[in-house]
Amino acid sequence: MRGVYDGLTVVELADRRNQWAGKLLADGGARVIQIEPTNGSPARWCGPFVNDNVDPNHCLDYWWYNTGKQSVALDVRRTPAQDLLRQLLAHADVFLESTPPGTVASYGLDYRSVAANKALIYTSLTDFGQDGPWREYQMNDAAHLALGGHMASTGYSDPSVTPVGGQGHQGWHMGGVFALHGITLALFDRMTTGEGQYIDVSIHDCCAIGTEGAVPEWLYNGATFYRQTGMHAAARRQPDLELPTADGMYVIAVNQTFGDKGWAKLIEWMEEKGVAGELADEKYRDEAVRTADYRQGTAVRDGIRRLIAASKGEEVFHRAQSYGISWALIRAPEENYDIPHYQQRDFWRPVEHPEIGRAIPYPRGPFMSDQLQLEPRGRAPHLGEHTAEVLERDLGLRPAQIAALAAAGVVR
Amino acid sequence: MNSPANLPQGILSGIRILDFTWKTVGPWAPRLLTHFGAEVIHVERAGSWDDHRYAPHRSPIIEGPQTEFSSGNGSGPLHGGGHSDGTKPYYSTPYFTILHHGKLAISLNTRHPKGLELAKKLIGISDALVENFSGEVLPSWGLTWERIHEINPRLVYMSTSGFGHSGEYKAYRSFGPTAAAQSGLSLASGLPGKPPAGWGFSYMDVMGGWMGGLALIMGLLQAKKTGQGFYIDYSVTEGAMSLLGTYMLDYQVNGRTTRRPGFPPGNRSLFPAVAPHNTYRCSGKDRVGQDWWVFIACETQQQFESLCDLMGQPDLCLDSRFATNEARVANQDELDAILSRWTRPRRRYDVMQQCQQAGIIAAAIQSAEDRVEYDPQLKHRGMHPVIHHPEIGDFEYEGYPAKLSRTPAFVHGRAPTLREHNRYVYGELLGVSDEEMASLEEQGVI
Repeated sequence: MRGVYDGLTVVELADRRNQWAGKLLADGGARVIQIEPTNGSPARWCGPFVNDNVDPNHCLDYWWYNTGKQSVALDVRRTPAQDLLRQLLAHADVFLESTPPGTVASYGLDYRSVAANKALIYTSLTDFGQDGPWREYQMNDAAHLALGGHMASTGYSDPSVTPVGGQGHQGWHMGGVFALHGITLALFDRMTTGEGQYIDVSIHDCCAIGTEGAVPEWLYNGATFYRQTGMHAAARRQPDLELPTADGMYVIAVNQTFGDKGWAKLIEWMEEKGVAGELADEKYRDEAVRTADYRQGTAVRDGIRRLIAASKGEEVFHRAQSYGISWALIRAPEENYDIPHYQQRDFWRPVEHPEIGRAIPYPRGPFMSDQLQLEPRGRAPHLGEHTAEVLERDLGLRPAQIAALAAAGVVR
Repeated sequence: MNSPANLPQGILSGIRILDFTWKTVGPWAPRLLTHFGAEVIHVERAGSWDDHRYAPHRSPIIEGPQTEFSSGNGSGPLHGGGHSDGTKPYYSTPYFTILHHGKLAISLNTRHPKGLELAKKLIGISDALVENFSGEVLPSWGLTWERIHEINPRLVYMSTSGFGHSGEYKAYRSFGPTAAAQSGLSLASGLPGKPPAGWGFSYMDVMGGWMGGLALIMGLLQAKKTGQGFYIDYSVTEGAMSLLGTYMLDYQVNGRTTRRPGFPPGNRSLFPAVAPHNTYRCSGKDRVGQDWWVFIACETQQQFESLCDLMGQPDLCLDSRFATNEARVANQDELDAILSRWTRPRRRYDVMQQCQQAGIIAAAIQSAEDRVEYDPQLKHRGMHPVIHHPEIGDFEYEGYPAKLSRTPAFVHGRAPTLREHNRYVYGELLGVSDEEMASLEEQGVI
C-alpha cells in the first residue's frame, strides 16, 4: 500500500490537539511515533470506553484519532528521556507538538535545539501560537468555539437561549487541518530545497477565520448576526429552514430557487399529500412570482413546511433530491452505516481489534484517491506498545539499558 | 490589477491551478495556495459570473453603481444588467473578496465548441484542475477523467461535491448545510430536548473547503514525487463523517446511538464528564439585543478550587454536592445556577480575564465584531491584514493561519474583477491573437 506520506517518519508528542493531524499522516502512509507520558496520553483517558470500563487501551476516542501509530511511553520531563527524544528527532522528517509555549525549550527540545537536522519540519500546534498577550491562557475545544466565533453564530432563534458549540473536537480539527496544510507545503518545498522549517499554528487563529460571512459582513457592512435555530446566522431574521417531518426527524430545506420542472413535481407531491393549498394557484407557475414569494412572502415557505410535516424524512430527502431540490435530512452519524451509497464508495474500512475480538468498520478518510491512499492502516497502539522496539531498532539501545530505564520510571 | 508578472516568489511559484469552482466550498482550496505563489485562474462563465460575486439578495455589494441583477445563479443564463452597460467592474460581495483574493479571473463559455477547445488548452498547461459542480457537469462537456488525463497526464484533478462522483447519491445536490446534516454534524450540536442547533453557518463549506485545500496540496506533493497526474474524488459529506469517528466507534462497540436523551449535551462535556463546563450569561447585550455570554470550564480540582476562591465562595469546594468532579457532574444544574449568579452582573471579558489569571479555562463568546475590533491576540498575530485595492481603497481580510518560518504565506492582491485577466491568460499564455480574441468575444466564447 502506498500513500501520500509514504516513507516519512513523524514524531508526535501526544496531545489531544495534534492527534488528528498525526492520524492523517499515519493514514497517508507515514510512520508516526507517538511519544506518550508513562501514564498515557490524556487522549486515552477521556472516553467513551469499551463497555464504559475505564482503561487507557480501551478509549474509543483514542482509537479513532491514533490509527496506525506507534506508541513510545517516556517521561519527557526527565533528562534521559529528553536525550532519547532528541536522538529520535535527529532522524525524523516531521515533529508535531502542542505543549504550552516555553515548555519544549525547558526540555532542551525547542526548534533551535534540534535544528541540526536540517530536513526537520517542526510543527507547534497550540491554543494561541507562540506569542501574543493570550498565549498562556487555558483553553479546551469548546472554549475555542466560544472565542473563535462559532458559538456566537450558533444556537436558537430565541435570543434568551445560550449560544451553542458543536460536539466532536471541531476547534481542534480546524487547527489540525492548517497544521497539516503547512506541513504538506513544507514537504513540497523540501523536495526542492532539502530544508525543513518551523511552523507555528494557533488554533484560535484558525477558528477565528472559520465563520464564513460573519467577519466580512462586519468589516464591510457593520452587521451583527442573529442566531437562528438550525440555520445560518444572519443580519436579519429569516423564516425557519429546519423543519420537522412526520416521523420526528428534521429536514434542512436549504434556500434555493425552484425551476419549472422541480416546481411542478413539488406541487404534484403537495397535492398527493393534500397540502398544496393556495400554491396550486396558477400564478405560482411563474418563476418570478414564486421566487419573490419565497424571498419575501410566506405562501411558498408555509407550503414547504406543510409538505415536510406530512412526509417521512427518508421520503423527503430522496424525493426532493430526485427533483433536483437539495434538501437534506439531519441524520445521526451512525445511521450512515446503513446507507448503500457509502458502501458503494468503499467508505468503511475494517480495522482489527483484538481487544474485543473483531474488526470494526472505520470511516475511510475524507478523500477518495488511489494515489493519496488516506485510510486507517491498523488499530491505535496500546500504551508503550512500541517502546522497546523503537529504543532498540531506532536508537540502538540494548535490552538491559531499556530495562534500567524502565526500572527508573523513565520509560514504560 | 493583479499582475501575474509581479507575483512574489513562493513555494508554489510556477504551479498553475485551473479553478472552475464557485460558491464557497470549492474556492477555498485554491485560495489557500495563492498564499504561496500558485497562479490560480478562476474561470467564470462568459456572460455570467460566480454567484458569490454579486448576490444582492444576500448582502450588499461593496461599492459601485447599482445595476440590475439576476437571481445570481453563476451557471445559469444572464438576466438583467451587469458589466456590459459600462458600469465599473470591480465590485463584488465581501465574501467573494475573501474567497478569491490573489487569484486571476477569466470568462469562458465551455458549452461553445471553441470555448471547450480553450478549456482543453488550459488543462494542458496547468498542474491542477479543481471544480465543485455536480458530477455530471464536466463529463457533459466531454471532459471525463480519462479524457482530462489524456490531455495532460501530469495534471491532478480534484472534484469537490456533496456526495462524491460515484455511488447512488452521485447526482444528489448539496450545499454546506446538506453535508453537515447528512453526516451527523448538525445533530451533534444543540441543547438536550430541543431541535438540533446545527452550525450557524456552513461549517462544511469552510472546514470542508480547508480539507479540500489539504487534498489539493497533498495531490500536488504526490504528483511532484511521481510525475503522474491522478484523480481525487472529494465528497464533502464523507469529509464531515471523518470528523465524527468517535461516535461511529461508540455505536459499533457499545451500540450507543447519538439519538438518545441528553445528547447533544449543549455546551457541557460528556467525554470526559467534567463540571463546570458551560456558557454563562453576563451583563450587557450585543447590537441586536442578544445577551453576552462567557464559557467557563474546570477540568481539574485545582481549577475548581481557584474558581470558588475567585467567586468569593471558598466553602463551595467543601460542599458534598461539589467537592469532587463526580459530585459536580451529578449536580450540574445547581452548580451552573451558582456560576450564573456570579457572572450575570459582570462583564464577560472581566470574567474571562479573572478566570484566566487564576488558571481557569474561560472564553468570552466573541462575535465577528469582537474578533476584529477587540481581540488583542488576533491583532497581535496579524490575522486581519490589509490588502491594498487600487480601485476601492484598502480592505481587511482574514489571513492564512499557519506561520511557516522560512517560506511565510503572503498575499499578492485583491479579488480579481470580472474577466480581468482574459488578455493575459488567452493572449500571453495561450497565444490567442487580438483579432481572434475580439472574434471570440463577439461569439460569446469569452
